[in-house]
Amino acid sequence: MMDWQAVQVSATLAFLTAGLLLPVGVWLARWLATTQWTGRPVVEALLLLPLLLPPTVIGFYFLLLFGQGSRFGAWLAQHDVRLVFSMQGLLLASWFVNLPFMVQPIQRAFSAVPNALREAAWVSGLGPWQTFWRIELPLAWPGLVAGVALTMAHTLGEFGVVLMVGGNIPSETRTLSVAIYDRVQAFDLQAAHVMALALVVASVLALTLVLAFDRQSQRNRMETGA
Amino acid sequence: MTGLSVVLRSTSRIQLDAEFECPPGELVALVGPSGSGKTSILRAIAGLWRLPGLSGHIRVQGRDWFDSQQDIDLAPQARRAGLVFQHYALFPHMSATANVALAADKHWAPQDIAALLDRMGLTGLGERKPAQLSGGQQQRVALARALVRVMSGANVQSEAEGVLLLDEPFSAVDAPTRLALYRELAALRQQVAAPMLLVTHDLAEARRLADRVVILDAGETLQTGVPSHVFASPRNARVAQLVGIQNHFQGRFDRHAPGWARLTWRAQSGAEVSLKVIDKNRIADGTAVTWVLNGEFVEVKSADETTTHAGSQENILRCQIQEILSLGETSLCTMSPKGLAGERITLQLPGQMVRKGQWQAGTPVQLLIAPQALHIMPVK
Repeated sequence: MMDWQAVQVSATLAFLTAGLLLPVGVWLARWLATTQWTGRPVVEALLLLPLLLPPTVIGFYFLLLFGQGSRFGAWLAQHDVRLVFSMQGLLLASWFVNLPFMVQPIQRAFSAVPNALREAAWVSGLGPWQTFWRIELPLAWPGLVAGVALTMAHTLGEFGVVLMVGGNIPSETRTLSVAIYDRVQAFDLQAAHVMALALVVASVLALTLVLAFDRQSQRNRMETGA
Repeated sequence: MTGLSVVLRSTSRIQLDAEFECPPGELVALVGPSGSGKTSILRAIAGLWRLPGLSGHIRVQGRDWFDSQQDIDLAPQARRAGLVFQHYALFPHMSATANVALAADKHWAPQDIAALLDRMGLTGLGERKPAQLSGGQQQRVALARALVRVMSGANVQSEAEGVLLLDEPFSAVDAPTRLALYRELAALRQQVAAPMLLVTHDLAEARRLADRVVILDAGETLQTGVPSHVFASPRNARVAQLVGIQNHFQGRFDRHAPGWARLTWRAQSGAEVSLKVIDKNRIADGTAVTWVLNGEFVEVKSADETTTHAGSQENILRCQIQEILSLGETSLCTMSPKGLAGERITLQLPGQMVRKGQWQAGTPVQLLIAPQALHIMPVK
């Protein structure tokens, strides 16, 4: 019934994507929340692009860039790196596609930390790193939880990019969503049902978590008087 | 040189020409309208406001925090500025004790911080988060956090290394709490030997708390001095306007006899009245001046009362009451001088005096104006 190999691939992909995206996401989100640079809207627009583009378009360009037909893909192949139809490639694509899901909530959380608190920390003698660890991160962490939950839920549900980039290789690139598609094609509706329900439950859990922590961060904002 | 010494000049987009000092243990109030640069100067002292092309120096207790000639510009972390933010900026995820401990150096043991919180009237509240404290209590935590940053030893009596900076600290609390905090700040001042700088737009607050006031307008220090002097003798018309003096007028100054001069009060209608004033040899003969009437030296009498002051130097000005506004013990009385249409004099009079004379709008009165009530300034 349940394709446990697909569950494992999906779970691995979700955890690795979130894990690899979190440090970069925090760095990028903090930078976007505090920078005065005029080019910031361009960076923000580029980050949001994966939300608007159809996943198949993203997958298509990914194939063009990393496939053996391109010069870069050929160069990669020479060095024994295969990013098309492999877990590594899937991870890389997933990492890019999930950037907005990770960065957006964290950026909102960092923006909500009043600048006066940063200044109060500096005036109190805290350096930039200490200010980040002791003041900003403890206040912004609900945003981090929301980012991780959204990224994982979105990774579990991603279909188009996975199919284009990863294909349908059992225990390598066949995720739950691809497995459901596979089962429906084979008229095995019962198996599709079971796996679909599992994805629904996972998504509901993730969204509940996101909303609960969003409320928490709103409370933080109120307490800081901002 | 101990205390705080500030000289900041800038001719770039933001104009700045500020210069003042604050000895240790004194409280100086930076007063000015919004946009006058008072908060920017405070932030510059803390190292939070940087302006390209800024010249001058900021010296605190003998150390250079900023010096454009020596190319010194310390980071906020390297300065010891105890800054109380307008909305306190307490760290919401930390207890009151942790908020204070965060700013304390190694001299401060946990029991010292507990003692300071007790001293600030926060006994038993150390474990509370800011959201669980009242506005006045949050303000005290913010003040404690600023104090530990300023002191070189682990109590408020120790020598001060830094400067205490208060950015409109009383604007966010209700009136009764504000009065209590005024008293506490006054008590604290007896013990803390740090220079203290208060930024405020509230003149009454500056007058009440400060040893000296610095009047700031468009980035420029216009006048510095003890509050009673600045409020009674503004250097020019702009200062008079900024410190909220109502009775300021235009006129011409003419030398008369040695030590004496005539002030010609010229109304907008062109009518003139001549007043006898003291010549302090500071104003050139025959110049146009702005002048201020200091109500402290003005006596108001009913029109029919005889004023038998033989040889008196007082000017007698006949007026008619336009409006009386009762403020309780005192009444705000607006009068128009006879023959000077359009001019208005506003004086605060004892309510009992107004009642006794049965004064009301329309009642004629006479003003006995001593020469020292007339403060004369060059037009600016």
